[in-house]
Amino acid sequence: MFTPLQSSKAARRRTALILIVPSCLLLAIINLYPFIYALALSFQKYNMTRAAQGSRFVWFANYGAAFRDPRFLNCVVRTLIIVTGAVAIEFVIGFCLAFVLNTKLRGMDTIRKLSIAPVTVMPIVSALIWFYMLNQRYGIVNWFISFLGVEPQGWLTHTTLATLSIIAADVWQWTPFIMLVILAGLNALPEYVYEAAQIDGLSNWQQFRLVTVPLLMPVILIIVLLRIMDAFKMFDLVYTMTQGGPAGATETMSYYIYIQAFNFFELGYAAALAILMLILITIISQIFVRWMYREEEATAA
Amino acid sequence: MEAVEQYKHERMEQAARVIRKSQLALQRQRYSILTKTGLYAVALLFLGVSLFPIYLIVTASLKNDVQIFARPPVFLFSPTFKSYHDVLLVRSLSQVRFIVNSLIATILATAIAVGFGSMAAYGLARFEFKGRKDLAFWILSTRMAPPIAFIVPMFVLIKSIGLLDTWWALVIMYTGMNLSFSVWILRGFFMDIPPELEESALVDGYTRWQVFTRIALPLVKPGLAAVAVFASIFSWNEFLFALILTQQNAKTIPIGITGFSSSMGIHWGPFMAVGFIAILPILIFTFLMQKYLVRGLTFGAVK
Repeated sequence: MFTPLQSSKAARRRTALILIVPSCLLLAIINLYPFIYALALSFQKYNMTRAAQGSRFVWFANYGAAFRDPRFLNCVVRTLIIVTGAVAIEFVIGFCLAFVLNTKLRGMDTIRKLSIAPVTVMPIVSALIWFYMLNQRYGIVNWFISFLGVEPQGWLTHTTLATLSIIAADVWQWTPFIMLVILAGLNALPEYVYEAAQIDGLSNWQQFRLVTVPLLMPVILIIVLLRIMDAFKMFDLVYTMTQGGPAGATETMSYYIYIQAFNFFELGYAAALAILMLILITIISQIFVRWMYREEEATAA
Repeated sequence: MEAVEQYKHERMEQAARVIRKSQLALQRQRYSILTKTGLYAVALLFLGVSLFPIYLIVTASLKNDVQIFARPPVFLFSPTFKSYHDVLLVRSLSQVRFIVNSLIATILATAIAVGFGSMAAYGLARFEFKGRKDLAFWILSTRMAPPIAFIVPMFVLIKSIGLLDTWWALVIMYTGMNLSFSVWILRGFFMDIPPELEESALVDGYTRWQVFTRIALPLVKPGLAAVAVFASIFSWNEFLFALILTQQNAKTIPIGITGFSSSMGIHWGPFMAVGFIAILPILIFTFLMQKYLVRGLTFGAVK
């Protein structure tokens, strides 16, 4: 911290303000204001196409309607399924791959650098290329599985398969990300702990279980949490590949809110759903963080 | 400045120590042929799966319409650049304007996010004031909220200012979205700088602003790179806000791409060409800035 060596407290405060205010102002505009506005909207019944009639305050009616809306409840379940499935698979595969690619074999470094590619691909492009690959008639996936004697499947036209397809597209794009982060975490682990473990005579598996995993916990925690939060917001894939899927099988919350706002123009209801979604994300994040920290403390002890 | 030089020297020695250690580690590992084969097989399978869709985009962009739909798929063919020609030069299909819009929005949003973000990060790292921690947490929390929650109010606001379908709308939104991790990452970097460096600069007569621009900023270059990488990727790839906030003039590449799918089906050739143009800059950029990617993507949580 700065010692009283500088000039007046006022000058210091002025500098601090100049530094911080621009960012805070921008964030207030695009984050605070919309949040308050959305909150206010959620208490009103407002249909944009009937703007002339104006809006009226219905307070918690929108929220009540949400809990009685079967389509919304379906969305919540669908989103949870997709998020859990995708993140779980991404984590397991990414975690294992981090160890594989961390071995100091020749060429592993290049393989690692090249395999990052999916993370950088524009989600909309990724979605469309998967749409192309999964097409029932000319998609390459069906061509591949024909070698295994399996019939061509309608990947995006059957409910379960559509869900799997969305999960697959997400897994393809983000597994390298998890792999990369865990790998970076692995490389940051201090040598001396392993040296001490070897002196203590721990086997490789014991080293992994008692040294590597606990030390990696913070990294794992953060990356899985980040992925969960991002996966919840999934929109591009659903919009492009399935538009909510056969009979709402892949209708995620983001997509449904979009439909309500820009197809049905029910802005009030959409706002209420968005607030509910935000609450859900917050709750899940909190649960997750607490659970993982309890695990971390348990292993530390 | 002496102190800065000394600090840089210490960091370089630290780096050298790390390199020596990893070289030692290298010598220690021996794998059997069987294990090696297995490891390579897994790694190459992963690489293959990761790159295959991209390979598809590249090859399909060079195929003609018949070959794209051919069953069994055509692997050897003579490439044609017709799709690229269509997508860049044919007026009705031209994506050039979208590319320009994307470029402008991305560059501006990244620059402002780095600029404002570094300022705010420095302010939060070095100046004590009440509510400092809460402010920092609020800035980070802005990333948690789903964009779909903001989109309606922002649409109404931007429409009322008359900025709908302009670059400014996108720049504002993207900069805002980039600010949260920009501040978070850079704050960590700034806090890592020993305060003595800046204090001796102040003794030498630097103003606090000069300390920021001439001492602190150069020392956090890796952080700035990390922010720039992630901010560019995010802004370039962003879809939802561009979808809602643009209609004709300010459409970016992702929205232009959706223009290829109509009720009659998808125009695959041109789409593949644009798709490749869309992902190529980011692919190259990321490959060059590899080491900053992890820091950027995890908000500085993993170093």
